[in-house]
Amino acid sequence: MNKIKNNIIVKKLGAQRTIVTLVIITLVIVFSLASPAFRRYSTFVSIADYTYNIALMAIGVTFVLISGGVDLSIGTGIICYAIAGGYLVKYQNMPVIVGMLVTLLFGLAIGLLNGILVAVMKIPPFLATLCTMMITRGLGTISASGFGIPWPPASAEGGWFRSIFKLEIGGTKYPVGIILIVISAIIMTIVLNKTKVGRYIIAIGSNKEATRLSGVDVTKYHIIAYVICGFFAGLAGIAYAATFASINPGTGAGLELDAIGGAIIGGISTTGGQGTILGALLGVLVMSVLKSGLPYVGFQPNWQQIITGIILIGAVLIDIINNKKKPINK
Amino acid sequence: MKKRLLSVLLVLVMVASLLVACGGSDDKKDTEAGATDASKETESVAKETDGEKETDKETEASGGNGEIVAKEKYHFEIVSKGFQSTYWQAVYKGAQASAAKYGITMEFVGPNSESDIADQVQMLNNAVNKGPHAIGLAALDTKAALEGIANAVEKGIPIIGFDSGVPGAPEGSVLANASTDNYVAGGVAAEGMYEGIKDRIANASGPVRIGEVNQDATSESITQRGLGFIDKMVELLAADGKKVAVVGNDFYIANKKGATVDEGEADVIIEVRVPAQTTTELTAIEAATILNKEDTIAIFGSNQTAAEGVVTANENLGVLGTGEDDIIGVGFDSGSVIKAAVADGTLYGAVTQAPVRIGEVLIELLIQAANGEEVSNVDTGAQWYNAANIDSPEIAQNLYD
Repeated sequence: MNKIKNNIIVKKLGAQRTIVTLVIITLVIVFSLASPAFRRYSTFVSIADYTYNIALMAIGVTFVLISGGVDLSIGTGIICYAIAGGYLVKYQNMPVIVGMLVTLLFGLAIGLLNGILVAVMKIPPFLATLCTMMITRGLGTISASGFGIPWPPASAEGGWFRSIFKLEIGGTKYPVGIILIVISAIIMTIVLNKTKVGRYIIAIGSNKEATRLSGVDVTKYHIIAYVICGFFAGLAGIAYAATFASINPGTGAGLELDAIGGAIIGGISTTGGQGTILGALLGVLVMSVLKSGLPYVGFQPNWQQIITGIILIGAVLIDIINNKKKPINK
Repeated sequence: MKKRLLSVLLVLVMVASLLVACGGSDDKKDTEAGATDASKETESVAKETDGEKETDKETEASGGNGEIVAKEKYHFEIVSKGFQSTYWQAVYKGAQASAAKYGITMEFVGPNSESDIADQVQMLNNAVNKGPHAIGLAALDTKAALEGIANAVEKGIPIIGFDSGVPGAPEGSVLANASTDNYVAGGVAAEGMYEGIKDRIANASGPVRIGEVNQDATSESITQRGLGFIDKMVELLAADGKKVAVVGNDFYIANKKGATVDEGEADVIIEVRVPAQTTTELTAIEAATILNKEDTIAIFGSNQTAAEGVVTANENLGVLGTGEDDIIGVGFDSGSVIKAAVADGTLYGAVTQAPVRIGEVLIELLIQAANGEEVSNVDTGAQWYNAANIDSPEIAQNLYD
C-alpha cells in the first residue's frame, strides 16, 4: 500500500486524481474494445466538441467551490449569454467579435451579481445562484423572443470563430479547442496557487473568519471568485455557440451539474478550501467519456446518469474520509 | 450599513439594465390586434377563407369553417408548449394574423421548456381564472392539466386543443383539435425517405440499417410520429418482399404495428434511439452512434431537435449526402439549420407541418366554439420538402428560421 502511495506519479497527481485518471483510461479501453466506431477519430473530435463548454465552466466554478460556495447559474447562464450575443449577430447584423464580447461581458456581469449577492448581501450561495439561474433562464428565452438562435455556420461569413475550437485543414478537423483549454487550465492553476487572489480564495474556503481576522478583505476576494466563474461561463457560452449549430432558449439547466459534478469527482472538496483545476478537468472528462461512450456499447443512455451518480457518491465519500483523517495526521 | 444599502442599489441597477438590454422585444405575446378595424375585417371574412381553401391544397380545411364571424369581441387565452423552438413562433404568427383578421384579442403564453409541466399547469389555471371566452391548449401532460381542464368545464369555458392537442382528455372537455396528424406525418417522412433508398435496399448484399432518433418516448406528438414512420416503413418494405426488424428503444418496439422478425433474419433493421435528456449534444451522440455503423443507409430525426442532432453529429462524420455511398438523412420541421442542410443536400429531405395554419385554424375553432357552434377536428397537414421545392411558395410559407 505504501509502495503505491509513494509512487512518483501518484504523489504528483494525488490519490484521487490518480484513481480518476485510471477510470478514464479504463473507460476508453473498454469502449474502444467493445465498439469499433468508438475508436474512430471523429468520435474523439465529437467528445472534444461536447466537452469544451463543460470544461470551461468547470475551471471557473472550481474557484467558487474552493471558496466554499457553489454557482448553479452557469448552465442556464451560458445559454443566455450565447443567445444574447448571437441575437446581435443574427438580427442586428453586428460583427461576430461583438457578439463574442457581449457573451463574455454578460457572463462577467452575472458573475459580479452572484458575487455581490453572496459576499455583500450574505445570501447563501445555493440560494443566490439558484435565483440567478432562474433569471438567466428566463432572460435567455425573452432576449431571443423564443427563437432558436443560430450563430453563423463555419462556411458563412463570420464563421471563423468556430475555428477557435475546430480547425479544418484539407478536410481533416482538428480539435484545437483543446489547446485553449490547456492554456486556460495552466494560467488558472498559477492564479489559484501562486497569486494572492488564489491563495485568499483558498483561505476563505478553509476558514473565512480566520482569514478575515488576519486582515484580508474577504468580501473583495469572495466576489472575485464569482467573477472568475462568470468570466469562464462567458467563455463557455462562446464555446457552446462555436460547437453547436443553434442555441435553443429555455435549455441549459443541468449543464452546470456536469461541471460541478466533474469538479467534485476530480477531488474538489465539497466544503471548500481545497482542489485543483487539473482534478476538475479530469472529472469532467470522466462524465464526457461516459456520455459519449455508453450509447456505443449498447447501453440505454440513461445509464450514463446512473453511473455518474454512483461515481459522484464515491468521490464525495473519499472527500469525507480524507477530512476525517486530517486532524489525526496533524 | 451604508455600504450594504449601496450594494443593494447597485444590484437593482444591474438587474434593471440587464432587463432593458435583453428584454427589448415583446415577451408577453399579448395581442390587441385589429381592435380598431374589426368591423371592416369581418365583412371580408367569408371571401378570405374561401380563397385560402383553394390555395392550401394539402390541408383539409373541414369542420364546417365555411363562414366564420365572431359574434362579439372575444378574448381568448392560449396556453402553448413554450417558445423554445421557432416552430411555436410560427404557430403564434398564424394565430396573431387570424386574431387580427377576425377582430378578437388573445394572450399567448407558454413555459420556458417542454419539461416545465408544473409551470404550464399554473399558466392553464391562470388562464381559466381570467374567464376568457375560450381557451386554446397544447398540453405537455394531460394528467397534470386535468384539474385546470375540469375547472374550465365547470365554468363553461370551451377548450380547443392545438398542435399535439390534449391527448386522452376526458370525453367532451376538449371540443376539437387543430393539429397535425403526427402518425400520418411520420408516414410522409417514411415515404419520402423510401424513394431515396429503394434501389439500394433492392441491390444490397447483406442487411441494411435505417436509424430513427426521437427526442423522447413520452410526448404524444413525438411517439405518434416515430411510430407512424416505423409502421409506414415496415409496410413499404414488406410490399417489396423484405423482412424487417425493429430494435432499440423499448417503447417504440412495444407499440409498433406490422409484421417484424428478429434482428438476425432481417433484410432491413430499423434502429430507434432516444436520448436520456432532450439536449443537443445527447441527441447528437445518439445520432452519431447510428451514423457510425457500417450498414446504416438512412436516418430520420423526428423533430427539430432530433434533426439538428443528426446534422450536428454529421459535422464531424461527414457521412450524410445524396450520393451513392452517402447515408440519406431525413429531418422534420424546419429552422435555419435544417433548411440550410436540406438546401445544400446534407439532408435528403424533410417533412414540415403547417404551423402557421395550426395557429390560424386554432383561432377559427375558438371563435366557433365561443359562438356555440358545432366544431370538429381539423388535420392541418404535413408536406415533404427537399432541395427542389424548398423555395416554392406552398412550402416556404410553413418554413421558419
